[in-house]
Amino acid sequence: MKNAPEIRYQGRVHELQKELMGGYYAQLTDIAKGRSTRKNAHLLIAGNPVELVRAFDMLPVFPEVNVLQIAARKASLPLIQKAEELGYAVDNCAYVKADIGLYLSGYEAPYGTVPKADLLLCNYVGCNVYLNWFEHLAELTGAPAVNIDVPFIRSADGEPSSEDVAYVVKQLEELIVQLETITGTALDWKKLKRTVELSARVGEMWSEIKSLTKLRPAPYDAYFDSVTMMAVLYCLRGTEEAARFFEIALADLKERATMKQGPLPEERFRVVIEGPPPWPFLRVFRDMFTRWGAVAVASTYSTVGGIWEFGFRHDPERPLESIARHMLSQNLCNRTFLQRYDQMDRYVNEWDADAIVIHSVKSCRLFSAGQGDMREYFVREREVPTLLIESDLEDPRYFSQAQLRNRIDAFFEALTQRRITAAADVAAGGVA
Amino acid sequence: MRYAVGVDVGSTQTKSVLVDEQGRIVARSLIDTGAYLVRAAERSLEMCLTEAGVSRNDVGYAVGTGYGRFKVAFGDDQVTEISCHAKGAWFLFPRTRTVIDIGGQDTKAIKVSERGEVLDFSMNDKCAAGSGRFLTNSAEALGMEVGAIGPKSLEAKNPVRLSTVCTIFVETDILSYLASGKKTEDILSGVHGAIGSRTVALVRRVGAEPEITFTGGVARNIGMIRSVEEKLDLAINVSPDSHYTGALGAAIFALERMTAGSQVLA
Repeated sequence: MKNAPEIRYQGRVHELQKELMGGYYAQLTDIAKGRSTRKNAHLLIAGNPVELVRAFDMLPVFPEVNVLQIAARKASLPLIQKAEELGYAVDNCAYVKADIGLYLSGYEAPYGTVPKADLLLCNYVGCNVYLNWFEHLAELTGAPAVNIDVPFIRSADGEPSSEDVAYVVKQLEELIVQLETITGTALDWKKLKRTVELSARVGEMWSEIKSLTKLRPAPYDAYFDSVTMMAVLYCLRGTEEAARFFEIALADLKERATMKQGPLPEERFRVVIEGPPPWPFLRVFRDMFTRWGAVAVASTYSTVGGIWEFGFRHDPERPLESIARHMLSQNLCNRTFLQRYDQMDRYVNEWDADAIVIHSVKSCRLFSAGQGDMREYFVREREVPTLLIESDLEDPRYFSQAQLRNRIDAFFEALTQRRITAAADVAAGGVA
Repeated sequence: MRYAVGVDVGSTQTKSVLVDEQGRIVARSLIDTGAYLVRAAERSLEMCLTEAGVSRNDVGYAVGTGYGRFKVAFGDDQVTEISCHAKGAWFLFPRTRTVIDIGGQDTKAIKVSERGEVLDFSMNDKCAAGSGRFLTNSAEALGMEVGAIGPKSLEAKNPVRLSTVCTIFVETDILSYLASGKKTEDILSGVHGAIGSRTVALVRRVGAEPEITFTGGVARNIGMIRSVEEKLDLAINVSPDSHYTGALGAAIFALERMTAGSQVLA
């Protein structure tokens, strides 16, 4: 228990992802260095119309992915500080600060160069900080900016109203005109349908991959390994290569499931994890769970850019409407808190989890507010052991290793102790 | 006779408790942790052994706890102080259902089963606001010994309301109260009240089920005991061994493991 085993899942999925993401960043660099005249749009992850961008053969660029990749390489702090020198507050969203810092550093990242946007497409306005992020980028870079106003979900059943859908579709139609102007080409509806069809196929396979962690042992970690697949899901969705990646991933993970291979030598605890990972300390953080044989069987973070496991699929026959529905209701951030509870409840029950771990993000109050209540809901009303811990997704200054490990160790110690006691009771004559 | 030992290497102080096979405390030791954790753990154990007149070979099992638990080089196992405070409090007061532990850098509320297992816990976030250090800094700002501030706070007639629980900013707050002519005891009452409120908020998160046992170094402070009791409207258990509760819990875990052999925590 005390020393984390070195064995972990580093299979074909990880290798192939590295290759694909390397290719994707080479495309970004080609544009940035003037070796390609392809147009690009900067988009946000939470429910976006990437299919539309791809249909125009524009390259989607994701500032959030760019900066988390930098954080994972332990290079985010100088960028954050660069933005703070400009006047951004210490508790401002660290993703925003790192991206502004990256721009101020000539968009040179460890994995390539980020091109200046031809269009800043703010597709998620539930976060007012994100709205300002793209406005600031517009001011700094001079690029045109578009905000698609996506209303929050307000209904009890979690479905958008027909008016909400029509409202977003109308804005997408206006966006098409803008994209036609930028690219100088008319929308090829056939290509859009094909892109949407590819997204639907990827959604189908991703959904099937997610259901594999219902098995014991889970063939991969639905938090730490999911992020590997999420990179392809978000950056390359709507392409043939993303579809091929998911075919291979699905086959590989199915095979592991058949062979009863999990990411750890022994799956001792099945957990649901809520909240994004602390990117600057991903490995250290993972080891804190590995040490206890804890495997994530589901995570809310893996739905931040789309929820497919509960049945949603893009529809090539109604491309704009299905993109609008995806933007409105099929991503974590645009949903109500009660829907977030329901989602986690389903994970605990259908994925048969022992506990929940909430990783709260210090520099994102919008997403983290209410997580104290969330913990209480699961502990008191659902009787699910739930741990709330806090650091940050991008800013290494908020990560205190000893404090985090102490809480995680205590949490799994308590779960272990209760198991021992319960087993002793059974041995003593079924008093449990 | 064999013995079990628990060593609690805390952020401020290192505590050890030696128990015999019947679970009776035979020795305890308390030293400042300092910068060398391995040495602190070693010295703390040696002091216990000397006090009890026990040879090191007679120690059958050792459990390390506290932030420096992995530096207890002679430890057979490590357990977090959260589990250890629960265990120790339950050992001292078997009807304990809630534990309040205020240490040097953090404050914890722990919900405990009737068998001393941790059911839930809540801690201050990554900031020492409202912890033992807050009291130490307040005492320093007032030029007093930390042991004297609790009794002094009980003399307050017109307690001030402190606006901060920040361990750093409290010093400037205290200075401004002194500048405006407030009495030391009234300021100290505000200091204890601020931590008391913060602690009770943590306790309510896990549910303030009686009996409530107060552990950790700060439990020696009568001002804090009264402040928490008043805010909870409940009497709380405090043992003369409260400061050693983490080490005691570790010693009880060590004893269980020494006698049961296989029934260990992972």
